[in-house]
Amino acid sequence: MTSMVLNKSGIYALLVISALLIGLTEFGLSGKPGSLLLTLLFWSCIAQGCIALAAACELVNARWIASLRRELLSLYPLLLLLPLLFLFLWPQLDLYPWTDHPTLWLNRPFFMLRNLAILLAVFLAGRHLAKRSLDGQTTGPAAVIYLLLFVTSQTLAAFDWVMSLVWPWISTLLGAYFFTEALYAATAASGLLMVLYFQGKTRDTSLAVGNHLRDIGLLMFGFSVLWTGLFFAQFLLLWYGNLPEEVGYILDIISNSPGRELAWLFPLALFLAPFILLLGAPVKQSRHMIAAVSCTVLGGLFIERLCLVMPTVPLHAGALLFYNLLLIAVALLMLHSSMHVSASAD
Amino acid sequence: MNNDISAPQVETDVLTAMRRPGPAWLTGLGLAGLLFAGGLALWAYQIMHGMGVAGITHPVGWGVYITDFVFWVGIAHSGTLISAVLFIFRARFRTSFNRAAEAMTIFALMVAGLFPLIHLGRVWRFYYLFPYPNQRQLWVNFRSPLIWDVFAVSTYFLVSLVFFYVGLMPDLAIAARHRSGRAGKLYRILSLGWTGNLRQWRHYGRLYMFLAAFATPLVASVHSIVSWDFAVSIIPGWHTTIFAPYFVAGAIFSGTAMVLTLVIPMRRVLNLQEHIPIDHIEAIAKILLLTSLIVGFSYVIEHGMAFYGENLFEMEQFRFRALGHYSLLFWIMIMCNAVLPLLLFIRRLRRSLAFLFVLSLLVNVGMWLERFVIVVCSLARDFDPYNWGNYLPSPVECGITLGSFGLFFAAFLVFVKTLPVLSITELKER
Repeated sequence: MTSMVLNKSGIYALLVISALLIGLTEFGLSGKPGSLLLTLLFWSCIAQGCIALAAACELVNARWIASLRRELLSLYPLLLLLPLLFLFLWPQLDLYPWTDHPTLWLNRPFFMLRNLAILLAVFLAGRHLAKRSLDGQTTGPAAVIYLLLFVTSQTLAAFDWVMSLVWPWISTLLGAYFFTEALYAATAASGLLMVLYFQGKTRDTSLAVGNHLRDIGLLMFGFSVLWTGLFFAQFLLLWYGNLPEEVGYILDIISNSPGRELAWLFPLALFLAPFILLLGAPVKQSRHMIAAVSCTVLGGLFIERLCLVMPTVPLHAGALLFYNLLLIAVALLMLHSSMHVSASAD
Repeated sequence: MNNDISAPQVETDVLTAMRRPGPAWLTGLGLAGLLFAGGLALWAYQIMHGMGVAGITHPVGWGVYITDFVFWVGIAHSGTLISAVLFIFRARFRTSFNRAAEAMTIFALMVAGLFPLIHLGRVWRFYYLFPYPNQRQLWVNFRSPLIWDVFAVSTYFLVSLVFFYVGLMPDLAIAARHRSGRAGKLYRILSLGWTGNLRQWRHYGRLYMFLAAFATPLVASVHSIVSWDFAVSIIPGWHTTIFAPYFVAGAIFSGTAMVLTLVIPMRRVLNLQEHIPIDHIEAIAKILLLTSLIVGFSYVIEHGMAFYGENLFEMEQFRFRALGHYSLLFWIMIMCNAVLPLLLFIRRLRRSLAFLFVLSLLVNVGMWLERFVIVVCSLARDFDPYNWGNYLPSPVECGITLGSFGLFFAAFLVFVKTLPVLSITELKER
């Protein structure tokens, strides 16, 4: 059986084709902007998060990343897909209530410009970091720059893409919540990659991978607690304050089915499941358990973003499924071709 | 790095630091003791004459005492961060600071715990803070974050104390071996029969790890709860969801700065340069830079969001902070907490002890002012202009604040001469 391996040009061509396919579906079939917005929210979290996790690990000299560094960094071309997909939101900006009464910050041109600029900057910084890291050069400044841009980008995604859907609803924590979730998603993705990539290795490799699996398990456990802290800190204050302009949006999410059920499901997936399942030490070295928890976490994050978007923006389920399956296929192909992504492999 | 220092040399160096107080130590203790005595006298004066001698009044009912409370709880944070969190992350540079940071945590919490009592006025009614069965069927309000504070801070204090003591036990046994007379006897009793056999080390390792894991979420929870003292209200400038992580990051920021303030002179005065290498100080400086970035991020978000939502009350509050009566304090705070620490991006400055010492002092000034700006500005500019009014701390409040610094530094100075300031056993492992 021949293996399909793409070089760098092939990967970029694939990204452009995927973006075009999504664009055609968006305007030809779907007609409901929620699917695209949700896809953007979920994939920006994973793509930016994976590179950010690699950058953070490089800065603190984390050893577990060694087995996965190439794979995580090879996802950097996905960062280019985000500004391409974001362009398709331009004709659909009417979904934001502020378009009727533009303000100094919230107006169409500035909204598009700043988001495109930051998404492109994140791509360029991610590319620079990946190249330097894969070529074995020092990455300190590149990692710092990427992380600063990553935080800015995720914060803007939280405030611009989600919070402004229900303007003037405000949660100042949402930006920090989003970039923490992106790192959580990247840890879960690392867990999956570890399981996918190191199935039939030798005994020595198994020992190292076992240690790295344990570290990923520990990180996911830690992130589950951190996520809960942020989730609790955010919603406790909204509940306690009980201000109509703050609780209205939350009530919209939890009052009607399926939001009511989903709003219970994602805390289970993002906190309870990883917390309980990863509590024991031997479990953290089990590939199957790490894979199961990683899938649960990624599923939980998707459901959470769905809950945030669903009350205000109409979704097309078929389009949503298509976009995400397509992007999963693209990501897997990129990982499979990861040997060709580094600059030295050109 | 000090990998080539022999184990006996480590013992000698650390234990030598505990002996023969020099003139610098005596002068420092004298000054700190004087400040503390002054603060104590002023507290007694306040108790005798009532809360009228403090500057707090309508509408600013929370002033310097609450600022001090939040500040000292914040200082207490880096002890657990350095000891527990860095232990879990296997960061080896913690060994240069963990003992001093843990001691600092204990002393800062003791000082912080005084301020609710000072603010209470009738301090003899302090037990009203606790839920206890009584004939009048009066209970504390469990939905109030003020009562959450009582539990959170006391839990944190107990866990930090146990963590500090457990870490000390092997070193106390070493100190007992080297000291004779009453001091040696006391160290032997305090070491609880530690002989250093394999079984003891196994239990010690497990307990230390367990305590570290237990203390880590406490770092986040305590200051989150302190932040909710403000954030659960709906007062402009206080009711904001970012407060919990913002306060936690700020606490670690100020605590890390205080570690540098204490360790840099301690390293020199006690001749511990070889055991506290510059590389480790640089690592702490990086934590300072990271937390400064988080604090700066929170400032931007807080102020930006006030104008994003176009809520008149929030906009007026943040305009008042930047341009109103306390604007000077606000801008000093921005400079000290968000601008000057950016210089730490320069490696040479991260490794300059003089720069780090000065920066750590400025950061602590900035963080105290941050708490003052948060506490006072929101009360001074409430919803109703009829309810507006500015606040000026009275000499009594200022004196008691200085007294708290006196108590903290006096306690730390006594610590450096009575207990090993570095973890001997961990240094040997290093």
